[in-house]
Amino acid sequence: MIAKLAWIQFLRQGARAWLNVAVTGLTLVTLIFMTSLLNGFQLQASKNLKSTDVGGGHYRLPDFDILSPTEWEDQTFSPPPFLKNLSDTEKAEVLVLQGQLFPNRRLYPVQLRGIDLKQKLLDLPLEPLSRQENGNEYIPVIIGTRMSERSRLQKGDSAVLRWRDRLGVIDARDAKVIEVADFLNPRVDEGVVWLSLDRLRIMTRREGEVSWVTVTHNLGSDKHLEFLEPATLMSDILNLLKQDRRNAKVLWAILLFLAGTSVYNSQILNVFKRQKEIGAMMAFGMESRTIIGLYTLEGTISGFGAIFFAFIFGVPFYYWFQSVGLDISHLSASTMPVRERIFLDFHFSEMLWITLIMLSVVIFSAWRPVQKIARLEPTVALRGKGL
Amino acid sequence: MDETVIRIENVVKTYPVGIEVFKALRGVSLEVKKGAFMSIVGPSGSGKTTLLNLIGGLDTPTEGSIFFYDKKLSHMTRKEMSAYRRDNIGFIFQSYNLLPVYTVYENVLFPLLVMGKREGDVRKSVEDMVARVGLAECANKRPNQLSGGQCQRVAIARALVKRPPIALADEPTANLDAENSRQILELMTELNREMKTVFILSTHDERVSKFVTREVKLEDGMISQDNLMDGLK
Repeated sequence: MIAKLAWIQFLRQGARAWLNVAVTGLTLVTLIFMTSLLNGFQLQASKNLKSTDVGGGHYRLPDFDILSPTEWEDQTFSPPPFLKNLSDTEKAEVLVLQGQLFPNRRLYPVQLRGIDLKQKLLDLPLEPLSRQENGNEYIPVIIGTRMSERSRLQKGDSAVLRWRDRLGVIDARDAKVIEVADFLNPRVDEGVVWLSLDRLRIMTRREGEVSWVTVTHNLGSDKHLEFLEPATLMSDILNLLKQDRRNAKVLWAILLFLAGTSVYNSQILNVFKRQKEIGAMMAFGMESRTIIGLYTLEGTISGFGAIFFAFIFGVPFYYWFQSVGLDISHLSASTMPVRERIFLDFHFSEMLWITLIMLSVVIFSAWRPVQKIARLEPTVALRGKGL
Repeated sequence: MDETVIRIENVVKTYPVGIEVFKALRGVSLEVKKGAFMSIVGPSGSGKTTLLNLIGGLDTPTEGSIFFYDKKLSHMTRKEMSAYRRDNIGFIFQSYNLLPVYTVYENVLFPLLVMGKREGDVRKSVEDMVARVGLAECANKRPNQLSGGQCQRVAIARALVKRPPIALADEPTANLDAENSRQILELMTELNREMKTVFILSTHDERVSKFVTREVKLEDGMISQDNLMDGLK
């Protein structure tokens, strides 16, 4: 009986009830959209980090620290056979050393990053370096767009490049920017001068040496080397994203609170207007808990209506969004390794949680005011002055 | 000799009004026999509605006792009081208090559903009652599509469909014109005769006097007169 009455009451509430359903449904769609967009951002950022730098992990000396440039030259090694024998698709050898660039007579400390140009593990726009590998008039280098802006070096520009070799001898030559490339990942762009691994080895007398070897996955331990998982290598960015998620959750909670308040207010108003109705039900001998059950069930139906609305409206919307994505190319100055279109990345458990929380808010908002009224004396409820 | 359905003994009802205490009833005693068709008359604030609410179990007396047959209402728990109202009382409110989202048929059906009856078992009774109050054509209409007189008929049908021992009507003609008032009162009289339901009407409408068989006058929360009347011949 209660279910049928609740259903009738819900259906015949009119515009007010449907407006409630629509607002709650839209909130649900928005919350899932926000969360999934952030997931998509994180997914794209991780993907870009992996494809441009991290790969499936790095083998390096335990004391190597990318944040301590003065120690880089002491932390190089010759890859052991288990790394050396990997194919070009399974490894990328990288040598990182300090250098100074003098663009327009300014001193610009740089990271000289030499990479094996035959490697196919990382996706880096370094193809032009292969074509100029044999020239000796200048050192062909590639820099990223951010580096280009900071150093004011354009494609075709030359600048003096100074470095120190293995024996501590300082040398300098002209370096020519043969390409300004879009690296997506700021970490391999800002302050980085890319050149061929072979050339950098020759320049620094470090034949066969690397700073790290990027691999596809953990190939086991080595007594001299340390394997760093992608999560460790990306921890700074991941922490930043985590913080972003925390901030997003605050926004998410505010939105949920606003939605809950709106639903609660409309329910209060709704029930306030229906106090006499509730009083009449009491007069007929309906027990308080039955009345509470009836109106709570009505609210629950409204919550499920909102979920249905969210499904009807949300699925086509998300489907459309996945076909166009969100263009975030304007974020080129950002420190995040994403500079393209991002798409939604749905996590079922998150969607389930959001839906359950939303449903709980709606049910609570339906239950609370009725629970208060149903505890009143029937005469007070009948006068409509209980709340 | 008809048995006593309601016995009221020295009932006092007070309400706090700010820091003052308002005495709505000051020691009312009354007996109502089976099949009675009576009115409680008096000016506004004399305690008519309060007395009806106490008889109907919507409120409890501050002092004194009310008995339904041998059961003392003030000894009942909230749940028992709900059951008392559900099984024994039919309310007809001045402002009808129809459930706006339900149709006429559903409004009349509602008290039976509260009693735990299945719609299929009582459909005929509900339809008969709706027809009895002359609203068969309006069974699928909702209250906002009805006139005041029609709403009051629905309220009567809803109160009586469960054939309660007592029907309490609070100012049943207050919002009606003369013709509708007459029709409603005639209808109540007929139903009282057919069902032997006790009708207690609170009113200050003098036209009601010629329909009832007993008239109790309340003044300042006390019974000032208790007259037997001729009723509708």
